[in-house]
Amino acid sequence: MKVHIKHWSAVAQWRWNTGNTAHDQDDEGDVCGICRVPYEGCCPSCKMPGDDCPLIWGECSHVFHMHCLLKWLGTAASKQQCPMDRRAWVTAERKANDPSSTTVS
Amino acid sequence: MTSISSRRLRKELNEIQAEGCPTGITLLSADNFESWFFSIEILGESLYQGEVFKLMFRFDSNYPISAPAVQFVVDQDSTAPVHPHVYSNGHICASILGNEWSPVLSVSAVCVTLQSMLASCKSKERPVDNDRYVRYAPDNPKKTRFHYDDD
Repeated sequence: MKVHIKHWSAVAQWRWNTGNTAHDQDDEGDVCGICRVPYEGCCPSCKMPGDDCPLIWGECSHVFHMHCLLKWLGTAASKQQCPMDRRAWVTAERKANDPSSTTVS
Repeated sequence: MTSISSRRLRKELNEIQAEGCPTGITLLSADNFESWFFSIEILGESLYQGEVFKLMFRFDSNYPISAPAVQFVVDQDSTAPVHPHVYSNGHICASILGNEWSPVLSVSAVCVTLQSMLASCKSKERPVDNDRYVRYAPDNPKKTRFHYDDD
């Protein structure tokens, strides 16, 4: 049998590397605790997910959409604390060019 | 209206409709993304056996960045529970509705916290400054700066 490929479509999936590898197959992934939208979606103020609506990591290990967290930290009520554990928010270092910071599966 | 609040509230509402409210809490109405009503009762042993209260949540367009305004409804059918942190006009002195609000909290989480606040009540009393507070209280409890003196 001879097969001629006439057309093919490539499908790729991406995920932020949040250090959480325990994803079920049908799991939608983790959500931002502030807007409840998956990390791979975008915050309510953005239209396109991806590099323009990145995540932000705290040294406390909690992760949010950067825009959601900055909105919170911009209020006096936040007292500059992490919404999850109320510790002082300190953004953790992430190198933008680190190839391990994004994974493609 | 596609404010932050409506998107987030739609998600919370879907979850409530799919999985139901926590035990003892019933959604009475959520016709819009500005105010929701729940009934709340304490199941098990407590000073509020057989009493059912009505809770009103009011959201502004910045919810959950800004806390919801939450109070017990006081009208011809319902009253506010007699509790040292609940004023007779329905306003509640609870730190998570004020300076300990966090945007990761939710409507359900607030309901459960208020339920346990009532469940752990040792004596049914009004706040000591009830009369004074109620006389001058603003319509919206978020405009009040409460003093959270214990728990």
